[in-house]
Amino acid sequence: MSAPVQEAITTMVDAATVQSIADDVWTSLVGDGEVLVPLPVPATEVTVSAWVQITGPWCGAVVVTCEEATAVALTECLLRARPPAVIEPEDVDDALGELANVLGGNVKSLLREPSSLGLPQTGPIPPAFRPDDLCRVDAQWRGQSLTIIVQGAIGTPHTERNEVPQ
Amino acid sequence: MRALVIDDSRAMRRIVGSILEDFGYETRQAGDGQQALDVLEEGYLPDLACVDWNMPVMDGLQFVSAVRSNPAYRQVTLMMVTTESETNRIVRALAAGAHEYMIKPFTADAMRDKLALLGLLPVEMCL
Amino acid sequence: MTLTATSFDWVRQLVHKESAIVLQPGKEYLVEARLLPMAQQRGLSGVSELVESVRGRPDAATTRRIVEALTTNETSWFRDGDPFTALTGTVLPALVAARRPEERLNIWSAACSSGQEPYTIAMLVSDALPDAARRVSITATDLSREMVERTRAGRFSQLEVNRGLPASMLVRHFTRAGNEWEISPALRRTVTVAECNLAAPLPRMGPFDVVYLRNVLIYFDLATKQAILRRVAALMRPDGWLFLGGAETTLGVDDNWERVVLGRGSAYRPRKGN
Repeated sequence: MSAPVQEAITTMVDAATVQSIADDVWTSLVGDGEVLVPLPVPATEVTVSAWVQITGPWCGAVVVTCEEATAVALTECLLRARPPAVIEPEDVDDALGELANVLGGNVKSLLREPSSLGLPQTGPIPPAFRPDDLCRVDAQWRGQSLTIIVQGAIGTPHTERNEVPQ
Repeated sequence: MRALVIDDSRAMRRIVGSILEDFGYETRQAGDGQQALDVLEEGYLPDLACVDWNMPVMDGLQFVSAVRSNPAYRQVTLMMVTTESETNRIVRALAAGAHEYMIKPFTADAMRDKLALLGLLPVEMCL
Repeated sequence: MTLTATSFDWVRQLVHKESAIVLQPGKEYLVEARLLPMAQQRGLSGVSELVESVRGRPDAATTRRIVEALTTNETSWFRDGDPFTALTGTVLPALVAARRPEERLNIWSAACSSGQEPYTIAMLVSDALPDAARRVSITATDLSREMVERTRAGRFSQLEVNRGLPASMLVRHFTRAGNEWEISPALRRTVTVAECNLAAPLPRMGPFDVVYLRNVLIYFDLATKQAILRRVAALMRPDGWLFLGGAETTLGVDDNWERVVLGRGSAYRPRKGN
């Protein structure tokens, strides 16, 4: 049996809405006066990604990608009030994952219900399956490349370890 | 005033914890609902628990239900602090016994407003 | 052009004088970020140009916007609490007892900003009176056309609904509209929104039973404060109630008001015989 093709994300979410969610996240979480400028710049170094899966009538992921140094700087901003003596790689994974989580939860609220959110993950980006089932914001923060992608998965729902009970 | 901050992200625990400490709170942290229940069972009864929704082991909604079903924890005010922001999620959390609900992302000012609503802002901060 | 030291200093002094909030050196970036939209809106190339134009020709409305842009992120719902507790606890019951059932109660939110104050009042009234929609009408005015339009739209961002709006009221009175929240049509219908400059002769309105005139007088000199209070009094019922901001008073400004303590806060009522 072939999985039905899911409705493309672009019918529910556009880049301007993702950008406005990111604007709120940046001013409140990253810092007052911090802005994500919607102008793409190329990444020159190795990038890292964090994402959360969304499972529901639409299945996919909300992915944040930036260079490692940018992820460290973001972590420092998030932890500005109580920075640890040394920022460990786990702190960076955790902070980038939390950014993906907050972006993901707000994106999810724009989708058809009931949808649920997975726990943040980091590593190589999960593959995107259909170029039309994708919404992308290429931006820069403090002059460094930062990309937010809302991308569909294959139409079969994932089993998440953190399914919210209905 | 004492607060328990429950979130699987340590960055978020630090953010919420430091905001509350700036308002004069003494804070403890837990990484999931079960860890938080363990803290309560140890006898640490906070005035306020800030609870994320999506967490491994025991999620925030289960934690809220568990706390509200135990009369010994009646003094604990529960506030969900989560990126879950659909109306029906908020309704479910309130029905389970959460006293307030804060949507991520939020600012320190928003936390102060919520504490004022709950009557949990130390008095000198209200003036 | 980036912010000059002179401009930054002027902004620092203004903010300190009007709000007692201290802008530390090094916060130039914050001044830039918060005031740039206002500069651009006026067709100016940068924040220093905005500051220069205001320094050359000061006006209360612009300085107020500058202070607000720097001191508040979002207006809170139930801002300062007490004037709203007093509304449901004392003022509404007194007015309901004093008026005939068919008489409308008129409430004026005189500097409504983006709408949090009039809709807070609308929610409280609708919870307190079973026939609120028929019984109460709320007038919301602001100097700024942009704020009037925002209030009229009744749409609020996620960050705005986080600012002191009880979650139970959010789910009862708002619905999601994209990534914003929209006030229910029934509540929006109870609020009439218009532009109004308090420092000039007022349009025909009222008479009002309750007036919220909060955090406005602090921006004006004594003579303008007196003129505003006189004009507001002329639009109020003799047994009406006036709420001012926490740092404002009629004492030493206009003797025609009597201060009444209500819980932890206070209200002002027209003195009898005036």
